[in-house]
Amino acid sequence: MNLQEFLTIFISAVFIYNVILSRFLGLCSFIAISKETKPALAMSFAVMFVITMSSIITWFVYRFMLLPFNLTYLRTISFILVIATFVQLVEMVIRKFSPQMYRAFGIYLPLITVNCAVLGVAVLNIDMFFVSGKQVAGSFYYSLFQGICVGLGYTLAMLLMSGIRERLELCNVPKALKDFPLAFIIGGILSLSFMGFSGFKF
Amino acid sequence: MKNNLIVSGSPHIHKKESVSRIMWTVALSTIPAGIAGVIIFGLDALWIILAATIAAVSTEWVFELITRRKVTILDGSAVITGILLAYNLPSGVPLWLPVVGAIFSIIVGKAVFGGLGQNIFNPALVGRVFLMASWPKYMTTFPKPFSYDAVTSATPLAMLKEGKILEHIPYLDLFLGNRGGCIGEVCILALLIGAAILLIKGYITWHIPVTYILTTAILTYIFGAKQFFHGDWLFHILSGGLILGAFFMATDYVATPLTIKGQVIFGIGCGLITAVIRIWGGYPEGVSYAILMMNAATPFIDRYTKNRIYGT
Amino acid sequence: MKTLIKEFTKGIIKENPTFVLVLGLCPTLAVSVTVANGIGMGIAATFVLLGSSVIVSLIKDFIPGRIRIPCYIVIIATFVTIAEMSMKAYSPVLDRALGIYVPLIVVNCMVLGRAEAFACKNNLASSFFDGLGMGLGFTLALILISAIREFLGSGQLLGHTLIKGFEPIFVFGMPSGALLVIGLLLGFFNFLKNRKT
Repeated sequence: MNLQEFLTIFISAVFIYNVILSRFLGLCSFIAISKETKPALAMSFAVMFVITMSSIITWFVYRFMLLPFNLTYLRTISFILVIATFVQLVEMVIRKFSPQMYRAFGIYLPLITVNCAVLGVAVLNIDMFFVSGKQVAGSFYYSLFQGICVGLGYTLAMLLMSGIRERLELCNVPKALKDFPLAFIIGGILSLSFMGFSGFKF
Repeated sequence: MKNNLIVSGSPHIHKKESVSRIMWTVALSTIPAGIAGVIIFGLDALWIILAATIAAVSTEWVFELITRRKVTILDGSAVITGILLAYNLPSGVPLWLPVVGAIFSIIVGKAVFGGLGQNIFNPALVGRVFLMASWPKYMTTFPKPFSYDAVTSATPLAMLKEGKILEHIPYLDLFLGNRGGCIGEVCILALLIGAAILLIKGYITWHIPVTYILTTAILTYIFGAKQFFHGDWLFHILSGGLILGAFFMATDYVATPLTIKGQVIFGIGCGLITAVIRIWGGYPEGVSYAILMMNAATPFIDRYTKNRIYGT
Repeated sequence: MKTLIKEFTKGIIKENPTFVLVLGLCPTLAVSVTVANGIGMGIAATFVLLGSSVIVSLIKDFIPGRIRIPCYIVIIATFVTIAEMSMKAYSPVLDRALGIYVPLIVVNCMVLGRAEAFACKNNLASSFFDGLGMGLGFTLALILISAIREFLGSGQLLGHTLIKGFEPIFVFGMPSGALLVIGLLLGFFNFLKNRKT
């Protein structure tokens, strides 16, 4: 566990293997909610929070429940259940304590359950930081940090995209390309430009 | 009498400037660098510039015919896209490469957004990163200057990245263009002549280029060598596509912020990303990626640097 | 019988999950590098879709409305686990190529969407044909995209070189190429649709 490792995780999670633009996780929400900056930002924060928390929870579930009892084949089911329960819980807590916040991104929360980014990061953490049934030294911190970084990458892509699409409202875009198709093409160009960061060495 | 009373919306002050006039001036200002490129790399460079330009203009024409839009190929913007794309290519590439690149530039970089004045990204750079990702073999083979045949040489930045700068390249050689590189980026002198025309005419302002180059210089000075504050900043300014990018591509009217504050942020951002890629990244050069990423951030920058309308 | 055929065919063109409903794009884009991967993903997703549609339509009357989504997810996750484990056992190469995108079928909006929008309201037979049609439509879309990407990105189709001397456009084997292909394809289909009306 050292600083370099964390820097590598940061650069690759945010830019090189950006969740949306390179791994295509959470693409649906990316295309559907990036039309305006405000909801995009709310969604990003909600996703960042849920991804971070679920990275922690699924790590514990995998390390202390699935691994010791040799139940790793239940990974998919248990992770999705844990995530769904957690999201439900967060929704209830927010509704109880801050109706204002609930209105701001309450409607996005249920969507996050089926946001592939959340489950994707959980599975990825396991694939990357558990080698053949054994955890890598510091795997918990790596998982946590990767969760945060993936959330940051999601936010970055979401912010850029929503800014661009807000401006496109004023443009005379060819009719056939309006909305979805153009959003994908812009995503492609963004993905091309993020390639500039590939091959990082510190 | 009748003609003197025109009622129209603002702007009310008339000047002889128009979009096509500005565009053709910009196209003219790139000519010195093109001539220098042809002198340094031979006639191959000329054919590449012509191929890219013709392909860009005809693609725009065909697209506008198919989608039944106003044909705007005479406004000069497609010509600039073609020229700038060619300037970003090595002179040894096969001729179909600039053609494919120009078609991609115009379609994906410009036409899909609705044409001139609406593109989010600099079209030439979109074409260039596409070519870079698609045919890296061609895009990183650089003919040796003044040899006019198949002898190749690495660019100074690539040599630096591989850690094998054996002898110091004189700054004067870098300044005049006696080095491996893309057609339009090597001769700094010619680029500065073109840039001076644009600056004097007032078509570009100094904010983006100066902040861009300064940021890159400062960062490469601090982090460019094994010890802090020992980097060769002048080398970093004079090599690669920094000057070409800073004056001709980072100043694209449509894809850059509107306010001075926004432009300064844009320049600093470009410089930061360029320096980071050059020092730590996998590619030797980061100018095109940096400008594209900041193009993407431009609507966002504009949003937060917009002059408030009085009273809101 | 006629309605069953209609349920089956609508998923292929009229309500194609990828190009018309724009659902379940994550795996579509991520694994469509080669046609073989595309077919593998298509079959796995069709299996899950078919299985979950059938089960959901069978037990729809026993599921309390308020917790139906978690129930669907558990059903889907079960079929995903079956698919995952069989793929690991019978085709480890494919399993490695598809990677995390097999477990991610759980959160594929297309699968959950069909359970929520169709299987919970219709009987077994219609749900079966709906699932089959949607799965086939999804697979065909995957094959189309991956054929374009494999041909342009490596000059091959199913591993066979088609044109000698064609210089592959590497970009189409990369993530950005996937986004460009789907964007341009969607635009092209819109263009055709606008032409018709």
